[in-house]
Amino acid sequence: MIVRVTTQNGELVQVLVAAEEGSSEATAEVEGTGPNPIAPEGKELLWGAGSFIVFLVIMRLFLFPRLKRGMDARYDGIRGDFEQADKTRDAAQADVAKYEAALAEVRAEAAGRVDKARQTLDAERTAKIAEANTRIAAKRAAAESELEAARNAVRDQIAAAVAQVTERTTQLAVGKSPDASVVQKAVQQVMGAK
Amino acid sequence: MEALTRIANASVRVAAEAGSYTAAEAKANAAAQMAGLAYGLAAIGPGIGIGMIFGKAIESMARQPESAGMVRTTMFLGVAFTEALALIGFVAFILLKFA
Amino acid sequence: MLSTTLVAELSQRLMPQAGEGRGFSFPPINTILRWQDLIPGINKVVMISIASALIGIVIFGLAATKDARKAPKGVRNLAEIAVEFVERNIIMETMGRSGMGWTPFLLTMFIFIYLNNLPGIIPFLQMPATARMGLPAFLALMVWVVYNATGIKHQGFFGYFKNVLFPPGVPKALYILVTPIELISTLVVRPFSLAVRLFANMLAGHLLLVIFALLSAALIQAETMRFALIPIGVLPFALLIFLTAFEILVAFLQAYIFTVLTAVYIGGATHPEH
Repeated sequence: MIVRVTTQNGELVQVLVAAEEGSSEATAEVEGTGPNPIAPEGKELLWGAGSFIVFLVIMRLFLFPRLKRGMDARYDGIRGDFEQADKTRDAAQADVAKYEAALAEVRAEAAGRVDKARQTLDAERTAKIAEANTRIAAKRAAAESELEAARNAVRDQIAAAVAQVTERTTQLAVGKSPDASVVQKAVQQVMGAK
Repeated sequence: MEALTRIANASVRVAAEAGSYTAAEAKANAAAQMAGLAYGLAAIGPGIGIGMIFGKAIESMARQPESAGMVRTTMFLGVAFTEALALIGFVAFILLKFA
Repeated sequence: MLSTTLVAELSQRLMPQAGEGRGFSFPPINTILRWQDLIPGINKVVMISIASALIGIVIFGLAATKDARKAPKGVRNLAEIAVEFVERNIIMETMGRSGMGWTPFLLTMFIFIYLNNLPGIIPFLQMPATARMGLPAFLALMVWVVYNATGIKHQGFFGYFKNVLFPPGVPKALYILVTPIELISTLVVRPFSLAVRLFANMLAGHLLLVIFALLSAALIQAETMRFALIPIGVLPFALLIFLTAFEILVAFLQAYIFTVLTAVYIGGATHPEH
């Protein structure tokens, strides 16, 4: 049986397949371009598996724990530094707060004193003003009463004089002296009406 | 599909009749042609799918930038699952063409 | 629809006759992915895995022996960034504080996958060890064992499987639908998708880099129409550089996603409610 096949180099050759029963196998072997390109190859699989497992074991047992320990130690160190810094800052802030509290206390005391002084000053002033006012009021009252008395005296004198004049005039005109009480009433009526 | 089979069969027949190929070579040629077609068909769906995945992922990242990390991981997972279909098509192509 | 004859003719035109030897042709995939043994039993991918483990051990060994009280710099800084990344962005986001015990496991996994992805973009090395199925398959199987064992340890055998098969908070009638899905998802789909995701991402990246590197080389070394092809060759080269930068991101992202998913699965097995 003669079969025409192409080899891997692309040459066309004729192959004489001698054995009749093995013919199908033989043709299949030569026809294709070698084994299936997708099928996994035993030695590649085994060597790959071996190298991966060795890598994994070494990483798991020795390298990774050391690396991780180093990283954790550094991170802890950095975290510790951070905490220290935080603590220092907190202490400084507490100091600042204390100082500010003292400052506020002193300020409050000073303000209290100033207020107190101002209050006493105000009280004194109001007291003095009140005293002066009463004094002035008393003096004014005395003067006013004096004035009133003087005015009344003058008025009485004027009334007496008017009454006298009226009495005299009436006597001259009528010839008869009028009743003193009537004259007085009339004078008072005129002066009151005025 | 029937039309495709007819084309393949016809090309096998014509090539074999022309006498320049053995029947096996002609069959391999037809397999190669079908392989190209098969991969082309297999790439359509995953192409659309991956486009949609990326589009939606970008949309949601733009809407919520703070969840971008989670969206990106999930997006790659979706892409991996979708892409597997196209890759199986590619493997089928290799099998048809070379095996 | 293209007519069948047109497709057939196009396929004939575009695929050059075998052995023609001119123009651009992609090499068989196994010449890109499979490496010959340098020492019997050890090929390039195996060496990359071993080297990743060794580099990881050396980095963390150097970091662990440095003075921890000083501000970290150099290797130690690198190691501490990795530790904090795993703790903050992977464990805290998925398992919370109670998952801190998983840090060494997830950290090792993240570093190992990342170091295995990275050779994909290192010049002259240019082969991510995770672009071969062996390593992702082992890692996914190991994750499968680990999260199932964690679940059984934390909730007991029956408690764990009760929570897996009958998730609380689901209406009773829905269990007909949910239970088979959860069973297949937890026991089959999770490890499968984990392995395939990592493997296929790295393989796709590797193939992209190979394709654009070959294309730029073919265009820049073209034998005919050099005046046109050489300037055109600059374009795939620029894309190659861009893709290399992109692969740095992918290498990181895939290591991250693998680890995050592991964390999610372990977290889910530890606390069934979430």
